[in-house]
Amino acid sequence: MKTAADLKFGEKVKINDIDTSNPSHQRIIEFGFTPGQEIELVSKAAFDDPLAFSVRGSLIAMRKKEAGCIIVS
Amino acid sequence: MKDSVAKSIPLITLVGPPNSGKTTLFNLLSGKNYKTVNYPGSTVEYSTSKFSIKYEVNAEILDSPGIISLIPNSPDEKVSVDSLYFHPRLGSPDIVVCTIDASQLSRHLLLALQLIESQFKLIIVLTMNDILDKKKLKISTERLSGHLNCDVIKVDGRTGNGVKEVIEAINRNLKDLYGNGTTKPKPFDIESGKQGLIESYNKIEIITNDVITELPRKDEIDLTNANKQLKIISTPYIGSKNSPDELTLKIDRILLHKVWGILIFILIMGITFSSIFWLADPLMGIIDSSFSYLANATIEILGHNWLSNLISDGLISGLGSVMVFVPQIIILFLILGILEDTGYLARGAMLIDKPLSKIGLNGRSFVPMLSGFACAIPAMLAARTIPNRRERLLTIFIIPLMSCSARLPVFALLLAYVTPRDKPWIGGFLLAGIYLFSIITSVVVAALINKFRKKLIKTEDNSSFILELPTYKVPKPITLFRNTYSSTKQYILRAGPVILVFSLVIWFLTFFPNTSPKIDTQNLSQDEVIQMERSERLENSFAADLGKIIQPVMKPLGMDWRIGVSLISAFVAREVFVSSLALIFKVTDNEGDIQSSLLSSMNKAEIGNSGQKLFTTSTIVGLIVFFVFALQCLSTVAVSRKETGSWRIPALQLVIFTSLAYLMAFIAVNGLRFFGVS
Repeated sequence: MKTAADLKFGEKVKINDIDTSNPSHQRIIEFGFTPGQEIELVSKAAFDDPLAFSVRGSLIAMRKKEAGCIIVS
Repeated sequence: MKDSVAKSIPLITLVGPPNSGKTTLFNLLSGKNYKTVNYPGSTVEYSTSKFSIKYEVNAEILDSPGIISLIPNSPDEKVSVDSLYFHPRLGSPDIVVCTIDASQLSRHLLLALQLIESQFKLIIVLTMNDILDKKKLKISTERLSGHLNCDVIKVDGRTGNGVKEVIEAINRNLKDLYGNGTTKPKPFDIESGKQGLIESYNKIEIITNDVITELPRKDEIDLTNANKQLKIISTPYIGSKNSPDELTLKIDRILLHKVWGILIFILIMGITFSSIFWLADPLMGIIDSSFSYLANATIEILGHNWLSNLISDGLISGLGSVMVFVPQIIILFLILGILEDTGYLARGAMLIDKPLSKIGLNGRSFVPMLSGFACAIPAMLAARTIPNRRERLLTIFIIPLMSCSARLPVFALLLAYVTPRDKPWIGGFLLAGIYLFSIITSVVVAALINKFRKKLIKTEDNSSFILELPTYKVPKPITLFRNTYSSTKQYILRAGPVILVFSLVIWFLTFFPNTSPKIDTQNLSQDEVIQMERSERLENSFAADLGKIIQPVMKPLGMDWRIGVSLISAFVAREVFVSSLALIFKVTDNEGDIQSSLLSSMNKAEIGNSGQKLFTTSTIVGLIVFFVFALQCLSTVAVSRKETGSWRIPALQLVIFTSLAYLMAFIAVNGLRFFGVS
């Protein structure tokens, strides 16, 4: 299962689902990561963590662990 | 919770996500007399004010903390959300004004929908419309208003255009309320979870697709005019076209670059850090000398008696020790404000999150820790931006270990003592070493405290780092100055009273009971007599008695009661250590340079009459080590109590850091002596 944590730099994908087992999943949805939305990995900090995604016209940074609950196709 | 609060005038609450222009709107609407307060029993802040007189609206206006949703995600957010429904002092809001960044419409509408669902009387204010203009997009306020069934107004935060319409809408809604009576808001259903949120977003997509239209490009304008006449509406907006700001993405390619990003980060922090010291230095000198001038003038006017002494040594010097740090605080807040308002701070937090998370901290701990090098008090206030309670408490816990600027005069004196006069660069080198040492120890201590956090911090919650990286912007000077002013005022109000009270206590301990000492005044100038009197008085004071009591404690460190008294006095503020040593060693500043005469007195000092030198390399190193660890600042303790909500953490900090300081100093002194360094 591919998640947002596996994206390569500049890769654009659509969100399939959000894994509710992650304690941060609710906050991630609130930031606009909903199924059907297109997201793109725009930056990575050193050590490849945290990651920054473009979603709904804004940039959201989150840890790899958190990006792991965004299931993409 | 009381169900009714006596409310004389209506309450208008501003609500909105972070970076939505909420505080800019508050500044535009509010009068001069705004105040920033904490919700009772918490560290969450809000501002209130009456409306500016020119608007002729008799209502209270409240700027609530930024939230992205009515579903709280941390204890602090719960306080913010609960107080929105029912404010402990001001009751329920009559009208809620929700700010929405027009360029983030879909994300920011979530909060607006939740507010409507909670049956708040809502007015929507669209901000940052210029960013949307640049993307050649336009929001129809009429259609958005139709969808949400509330007033929607565009406001330009820079020019204030639209504020008049907001006032009109508030007046209209208030009149409406008088007619129909207020409806009480009902708490938002937070159980709906994932499904509820996704449904809200589905609704939002239908709304945004309907209200956003693409503006024609310049070369198409004539064509559109023609189209309008033919009643053809401009092209519908397609959601996926909403891409982030191009310039922001370009800048991020450099500032968040794996190599350049880190280098620029280190450079920016280096500049911040050095300007706190170098820019502030001359200003601090001016403040310092004007306070000593005032203190001397008081004595000259009132003569030598206990009252003049109380005013000059207790009150004025105490006030001076608060004010001397104000330039540093102003520069710190100005730079942090610039970094915050440009949008860089969020990037900095992202870059440093990974290494800090290894020791139980968060990317957001970085700014408070950096501020700690200037002063622990604003640093602890800055820790409020960390949403996770455990990480915030841990950050506050280790802030006293950051080598604050009050330690600088102490280190400068001690290093001058061990540095050869002809090689001053060695001192600079050693000072850099001390800073490095203090950074390493704070990392180690943070890791250790994190390990024992269940016993020490007693808070466990889910660590997370989700942060919006805002669009890069040119900071607005007025907002910058207003924020810096209010933060600086907060520092003075918080630290001021505590430092003042304790400097009075220390003054009392050093002045009594031997108020008019007898000394041999032969062959001495008047200044020397005064100086001798002061030394004599101190030697027989309560403070000296206290020092003699702790003599056995000082002995294992190779020190005596005189250093003990200075260490006790340093609890007012660390730099008092230097002036206190000067008093004890009967140093007069007649020869002009107080430091060199203090150094020569220190060189002559012996322990008792043993002939053994008091200040040796090992005791100096011991003292430096002591100052690196010890929490010798009562205002820090007081602020820590306020920010953590109980005495637990400040008490632990005081005990752990001071005993650690003693232990490490003991090891340093005796270790050095063991290896033959006296």
